[in-house]
Amino acid sequence: MPRLAADARRAAASVNAGVHGRRRIGQGETFWQFRPFVSGEAAARVDWRRSAREDRLHVREREWEAAQSIWLFIDRSLSMDYCSTMAPMAKLERAVVLGLAAADMLVRGGERVGLMGGTPAMASRRIIERLGDALLMQKTLGQKFLKEPLPPRSEALLIGDFIAPLQEIEASLMAIASRGARGHLILVSDPAEELFPFTGQTELIDPEDGFRLRLGEAGGMAETYHARLAAHREGLRSITNRLGWSLTRHVTDRPASEALLRLSMAMTSGGRS
Amino acid sequence: MFGLPLAFTIPAVLAALAVLPVLYWLLKMTPPPPTQAVLPTLAIIRDVERKEETPAHTPWWLLLLRLLLAAIVILAMAGPLWNPDVDARAGRGPLLVVMDNSWSAAADWKERTERANALIETAGAAGRPVALRAIADEPVDILPVAAPRAIEQLRSLVPVPHSLDRKRHQASIQSFLESNKEASAIWLTDRVSVLADNNVIADISNAASGRVTVLAPDSSASLGLASVVNAPDALTVRVIRAQTGEAMAGNLKASDSRGRPIAETRFLMPQNAKEVAARFEVPLEIRNDIARIESLERASAGAVLLLDGRNKRKRVGVITGETTDTAQPLLSPAYFIARALGPFADVREAPRGMPDPYGRLLEDGAAVLVLADVGTLTGPTLNRLKDFVEKGGVLIRFASRRVAAPSDALLPVRLRRNERIMGGVLSWDTPRKLASFSTGGPFEGMVLPGDVTVSQQVLAEPDATLPEKTWAALEDGTPLVTGERRGKGHVVLFHVTADTGWSSLPLSVAFVETLRRLTGLAEIMGENPETASQDIVRGETILPPLRNLDGFGAFRAPPVTAEPVKRNHNEPASVKHPPGFYGVAESPLAVNTLAANAELTAVNFSGLAVKPLVAGQAIDLRGMLMSLALLAFLLDALAALWLSGALSRLRPSRAATALLLATVVSALIVAQPAFAQQNTPKPADPVRTDKLPAYRADDIEAALTTRLAYVITGDAAVDETSRLGLQGLSRNLSTRTALDPGEPIGLDISRDELTYYPLLYWPMVAGRNPPPEAAIRRIESYMKGGGTIVFDTRDALNNRGGNATTPETQLMRRILATIDVPDLEAIPKDHVITKTFYILDGFVGRYNTGKTWIEVLQRNQEQDKTRPAQAGDRVSPIIITGNDLAAAWAVDRSGQPRFPLVPGDARQRELAIRGGINIVIYALTGNYKADQVHVPALLERLGQ
Repeated sequence: MPRLAADARRAAASVNAGVHGRRRIGQGETFWQFRPFVSGEAAARVDWRRSAREDRLHVREREWEAAQSIWLFIDRSLSMDYCSTMAPMAKLERAVVLGLAAADMLVRGGERVGLMGGTPAMASRRIIERLGDALLMQKTLGQKFLKEPLPPRSEALLIGDFIAPLQEIEASLMAIASRGARGHLILVSDPAEELFPFTGQTELIDPEDGFRLRLGEAGGMAETYHARLAAHREGLRSITNRLGWSLTRHVTDRPASEALLRLSMAMTSGGRS
Repeated sequence: MFGLPLAFTIPAVLAALAVLPVLYWLLKMTPPPPTQAVLPTLAIIRDVERKEETPAHTPWWLLLLRLLLAAIVILAMAGPLWNPDVDARAGRGPLLVVMDNSWSAAADWKERTERANALIETAGAAGRPVALRAIADEPVDILPVAAPRAIEQLRSLVPVPHSLDRKRHQASIQSFLESNKEASAIWLTDRVSVLADNNVIADISNAASGRVTVLAPDSSASLGLASVVNAPDALTVRVIRAQTGEAMAGNLKASDSRGRPIAETRFLMPQNAKEVAARFEVPLEIRNDIARIESLERASAGAVLLLDGRNKRKRVGVITGETTDTAQPLLSPAYFIARALGPFADVREAPRGMPDPYGRLLEDGAAVLVLADVGTLTGPTLNRLKDFVEKGGVLIRFASRRVAAPSDALLPVRLRRNERIMGGVLSWDTPRKLASFSTGGPFEGMVLPGDVTVSQQVLAEPDATLPEKTWAALEDGTPLVTGERRGKGHVVLFHVTADTGWSSLPLSVAFVETLRRLTGLAEIMGENPETASQDIVRGETILPPLRNLDGFGAFRAPPVTAEPVKRNHNEPASVKHPPGFYGVAESPLAVNTLAANAELTAVNFSGLAVKPLVAGQAIDLRGMLMSLALLAFLLDALAALWLSGALSRLRPSRAATALLLATVVSALIVAQPAFAQQNTPKPADPVRTDKLPAYRADDIEAALTTRLAYVITGDAAVDETSRLGLQGLSRNLSTRTALDPGEPIGLDISRDELTYYPLLYWPMVAGRNPPPEAAIRRIESYMKGGGTIVFDTRDALNNRGGNATTPETQLMRRILATIDVPDLEAIPKDHVITKTFYILDGFVGRYNTGKTWIEVLQRNQEQDKTRPAQAGDRVSPIIITGNDLAAAWAVDRSGQPRFPLVPGDARQRELAIRGGINIVIYALTGNYKADQVHVPALLERLGQ
């Protein structure tokens, strides 16, 4: 976990530079702009110091900084603990790095981050450590999803491989979004899963339930596999699109910061627009 | 099989090779285990409809490996034999293997038994019963047995150390071959015949119409050592062989009775010769120690010759006519003769006063009889001696002083009745010198000694034969030594006596040399048969076996079958009397494998097909093939692992290690039989561990520095005073004298080594117990070993004289009670200790009233009274004082005196230090200063 925390911090730092505030008028504390007083406004909103310089009344506007709650969930099922020879680290490890890095990035951006089914949303500077500890304590090991409805105006960040029947995924996401919450998905996959690099006589094992599939010639199955995988991904995307959620794909042989950057862009613009 | 020297014990098993194609099909059907891989996304293709799954093919090389493995196992089960013995494969009936196993088969015994083993194994593999007959066995009826039994019999066979007669077995072998018409025989012979049985094999083969195969070595490797002649100049060994043919060279080694090598010699047997004489040219004295001669190249009992007393020194009997009460035995003739003959002959002197000395000496086997001071021989004695000479004995007679010139048949010349005296009253001749040794006589070539003079001699009647009988003559041509051959022996007469009365010959080197040469003429005497039989009755001359030879010529303990021999045993060895030494270790009797006149003949092979003895050895390939199969199995296991991906899951280095390990293990398995054969344990070299104990560093330091020492009393104040006192004294010594002592040391007398310290200061402390007994003994040995102890009772102040003694004195007396203390005296004024450095009147310390005692000087003469310094030959081991010396010497760190003196005058401290210096110098230099008093006299004498 310390190694993952360090990775997460590094990834968050590399992304942080390019991310700024929401650039929108809001209830935040940072100064945004002065604008002329419009009559009918509450007199308390007048910025007297600014107004004293000239004959007009000015109102100080602040940036929109309404702290939002982001709820993180990391899929820690058996299928995530997979690392082929082509990948530098297991999917789960990458998922944790991504989750913590995203949390750090978001907290710096002024949001509060919590763990679904774990901690309440918080905006601690030591969010990585806090969440890391919470992850260790969490009892959701092996669960693919949490069907926990999130409050409105909060966002869900689900990281996992989403290998499940599409109906099940859809049901879970709908449950989360039932009260108006929005969400982002990061699909973490191993290069081996993408490429299906098996030839010859091969016995494939499903880590979830130990199911064995013996293939006389695995190479012959590759085509079917790719087709099925693409269909699954397409189904997933259509679900997220319907919900207005974002879907970011990430393969573990790519750097974590890449996915993080895409995530932040999706959060600032893509997901919201 | 297929032109290869390969045969199978159970060829039927080879039929199993036909199963291989089936195996091929089966192996092809069973694919190797699949690669296993985890795929989390498997769920998405889980429900894909399976296509027809054709199993992957087993790789062709794995298939080949497995088929090979099966084939190897089948071949191994069929019991393959490489190099099967073709001679044993011909024929179907029982096989008779006849082994020559006398000593002559020992040289190539290993090849012989290996071949026989191969024969029996091959015959056994072919299902033939086998009979094994060694010619040392009893010639009973031959019964074939199963091959393993015959191999057991073969393993127990060893070559016997004596010669064997093949004729004994002729009847039994022939009857066996006649009764079993299908039987065939193989005779492993050694080509050597000792006992005239060289036609036996040919006879049997002819009778059995060629069913006998003879296996013989290319040429006989056997070599015999038949007899030895101890000639005057060299020891000659008769080396014989069975076959003429090419020239043969070899080496012989002679060793003594304990097996220590004495000499080696080389012989060269010429082409077409059957015997040659090898010579050991070593000094006679050493030659006499030779107990065993053997061939270095061809080890067998026949190539070992054991030597006993009969071969070494000739036994010389000396008989004198003197009476028992010889006044001067060292001047008697017998003494001169015995001394001259001693180095190279076994001299037996007949005890004087014995009734029949001749008979006794002849019974002992004397080859040479020396008669000195013996007159004319008569009667039965004369006849006996005649007989002795006829048989090869040498009779040496000396002229006699007391008896008139003898005249009997046992003289080479006739003697004149009276002797000639030269230089005597009645003669004007001066003593004559020895002038010449006759050519052709036994003394030919001897160096003429210039120192032999003859003053009296007996003269021969001159006749025509005198010159040729004269072996040594004087200047005037008169004979000194005459001799004549009688039968096989010689009769020799010295015309002088054997003592120095008539001539100086007995004192000369020539005397020894002449006697040695005459002894060499003698033949070795066997004993008289009739006297020997008498001895057996008396039970004296039965000699039990002592050490015997085995067939290879090595010594071993006597076998149970060995029986004692008679003293006159002169036969070659037999079953009952194996070769070796008999009797007692001091004078054993040697029994040799070959008779002295033995001849080796080659076995007659005319009309016989002789095949070489050494054929390729039959090798059972089963073990090797099984190892190979195991190796293939290991490879197969590795390949299976690799195919299933288990190997690639290991890290490469671990995989390589596993592969290497497997290779090494299989290589070991393959190499194992050869390894087991070579694995003969070597005796470990005994490592000598008894080293001197290492020197301790403080011992080295103590020995290198001269230092004063004191005894630790256990009283801290006294010990501190001693230390400070000796420190002060040491400081004064190094400033005033040439001595620069080291730091003083306190010693525990019961533990520390005292030897390093010349002087020991020992203050007495009242009320202490004397040291333990062991410490007192150490003190005593220190004093006796040259050390000096200064006992300080420190009681001069308290000692009022009279009989009352202080506790310190009592303690000292108790310490010295058991020590051997010399007499003491108060130091006299002229004692050297008062002069060694300073001239002193007395030795004072803290007190000046006490007396100082020292060992009493041994004063020599009155005149020495005048000498200013007196000294004995040694340093007094003990000095006793009561003046508390150390307290006077003691200074503190700043150099100030530690203790006040009594009565306390400055001069007293100076005198105390001077006294201490004198004591130290005395202990170190002894009486040197006493000798210094002579210097003025010496200088005066030198003319100064």
